[in-house]
Amino acid sequence: MTEIKRADPPQDVSEYKGIMVYLDSFDGALTRAALEMIGVGRKMADKINETLIGAVIGENTKGMAQEAGMYGCDEVYGFDSKELAMYRSKPFSDILANLVFEKKPNILVVPGSKNGRDLAARIAVKVRSGLTADCMEIDVEPENRILIARRPDYGDSTMSEIRCEKHRPQMATSRPGTFETPVPDSKRKFQVDVREVKLEKNQLKENILSFNRKTEEDITGSKVIVSGGLGMGKPEGLDLIRKLSNLLGGSVGVTRPIADLGWISRDHQVGQTGQIVRPNLYIAAGISGKPQHIVGMMDSKVVVSINKDPDAEMNQFADYIIVGDLYEVIPKLIESIERVTGANPSAA
Amino acid sequence: MTLEIVVLIKVVPDGKEVFVDPVNFTLNRSMATNVLNPADENALEAALRIKDEHDARITVMTMAPPFAEPFLLECLSRGADQAVLLSDRAVAGSDTYPTSLTVAAGIKHLGNVDIVFAGEKTSDSSTGHVGPGVAEFLEAELASYSRSCKYEDGYVIAERELEEGVEVVKIPTPAVVTVVTDSNIPRRATLRKKLDAQQKGIIVWSLQEIGVEADWVGLRNSPTVVKKMLPFPTRERKNKVIGVDNLDDFVKELAEVGVLKTGGN
Ligand SMILES: Cc1cc2nc3c(=O)[nH]c(=O)nc-3n(C[C@H](O)[C@H](O)[C@H](O)COP(=O)(O)OP(=O)(O)OC[C@H]3O[C@@H](n4cnc5c(N)ncnc54)[C@H](O)[C@@H]3O)c2cc1C
Ligand SMILES: Nc1ncnc2c1ncn2[C@@H]1O[C@H](COP(=O)(O)O)[C@@H](O)[C@H]1O
Repeated sequence: MTEIKRADPPQDVSEYKGIMVYLDSFDGALTRAALEMIGVGRKMADKINETLIGAVIGENTKGMAQEAGMYGCDEVYGFDSKELAMYRSKPFSDILANLVFEKKPNILVVPGSKNGRDLAARIAVKVRSGLTADCMEIDVEPENRILIARRPDYGDSTMSEIRCEKHRPQMATSRPGTFETPVPDSKRKFQVDVREVKLEKNQLKENILSFNRKTEEDITGSKVIVSGGLGMGKPEGLDLIRKLSNLLGGSVGVTRPIADLGWISRDHQVGQTGQIVRPNLYIAAGISGKPQHIVGMMDSKVVVSINKDPDAEMNQFADYIIVGDLYEVIPKLIESIERVTGANPSAA
Repeated sequence: MTLEIVVLIKVVPDGKEVFVDPVNFTLNRSMATNVLNPADENALEAALRIKDEHDARITVMTMAPPFAEPFLLECLSRGADQAVLLSDRAVAGSDTYPTSLTVAAGIKHLGNVDIVFAGEKTSDSSTGHVGPGVAEFLEAELASYSRSCKYEDGYVIAERELEEGVEVVKIPTPAVVTVVTDSNIPRRATLRKKLDAQQKGIIVWSLQEIGVEADWVGLRNSPTVVKKMLPFPTRERKNKVIGVDNLDDFVKELAEVGVLKTGGN
């Protein structure tokens, strides 16, 4: 039997300094999730007065590296190769792990996109450190520079706080949409170091045969979301939801049971096992407000609950509560909006 | 040559039976029974579909206490050929690092394996770290988030379901494939196979048998530690009740707080 290889744990954790953020990209542009993680990293870096290091891998990373600087990184490392135009698990994780060995960051945050999670899980094994997935809160304790990672518990209304005290870097991922994207500043000072990489044959065994872009809309960037739950009772309820969301220039969301029923694709599901959204306006119609749904929308700016039950849990999480049958309330609301806004209420 | 396939499974509490108590907002686990992790059912089915087409042998494997045995038998009844239970007191409380390590050691102990299937994530811990972690320990190729895959002359061709679209990748074996929940319809057990499963039984390996030291695993040797439980964070909300007959004022208020633009501009 061949033996299992394990990396050595750090001798002295105080050697590890700075915060590294992996910058996920698609089609030559940083993803929104990458920008969110720059924001998270920047806050921690300011708190403990340390450097925020960005790492981006792709075909031509210079532009992305500069963008990352404007969004808040102090030092950005780009790794260029024609073979790296799209994510490939092995070379990407090798490159990032090497940068971790070179820079010895105390903390490494990675966007929790599918590819980001693939990468982070491999790095955790390569460097032998602790990784916490799906964090809702990421912070650092100034006294000891320990990462505080909080994630929701399974099917529960509590969160666990998870730490990694003996291994470095301390790692965390968060689902895309969990945090606000920072505001870029074109006057920020930062350093960019783009390196050409030469890959070895055994790093390039994965062959990408094709890529088909999704046509389903992505609701995570919407300013207005109107969501329907089981209170709709029948699939036609979604037509009403759609009518209101169209009028407001928004998107349609649903609870998990609605996606389970197959009334609409899972891309529209909001919650712990769906999308995390933070629109300016979230209207929940016929939704009871279970924690697994709430975690997906709790950072919305203004929340409206339409529910025939005055005591629905959803109402606690709402700024405005309209008690009534959604089949009566929504048509009336549509009329009011048309009356007040002159039928042209483009989302603010 | 027979393809050697391993399917990694985990037994988890049944999500449908986990209730949140409406009075004190806490979880009621007392009703919860155990099930096979949903994504692992799809992983087993993905493996069985390869076996439908090729000469293959499927081993299901889990690192768990003995209570997982009936679930391994269930997998045999669906068409797996062999079941391995990695069971050892010392692994209790392991996070994903020691879990990936132990499972990878179990796979190595089996001998040459061509394809390892895992679920994209478990429904209870939901990290999705174990599949990629195993690939790393085995130094195998990896296709994560696969919704369908096939085997062809030493290669796995897998459709990966990503945020932006669907990617088709071709990787040589040995390969790890993580399978997306609901990506196929798992077949049912047959009575004949159920009887065979009882006959076959389950192989149980301790850490020592697979060459893993007790001080590499378990709670104390896991890099991550759960420090405390906190109540779910809440946000300040206005909780203002709006009369159904007063919606015009409500719409004006929405415009005032800046989440809706009013007419013409
Ligand atoms: C591990 C796990 C993960 C989960 N992940 C998610 C997730 O990502 N997203 C998610 O949404 N759920 C998720 N769930 C499910 C979640 O726990 C709830 O079961 C679900 O959110 C409830 O959906 P609902 O509000 O549509 O239905 P219900 O709870 O049945 O609520 C229906 C509501 O509609 C109201 N109503 C009924 N008729 C009308 C009417 N005519 N007009 C107005 N109101 C009416 C009722 O008063 C009630 O409040 C998950 C569960 C588990 C265990
Ligand atoms: N204890 C375990 N034994 C065997 N396989 C496991 C175990 N834990 C997780 N897995 C596999 O890894 C996948 C992802 O699990 P997780 O990383 O816990 O979300 C699961 O769907 C299983 O296929």
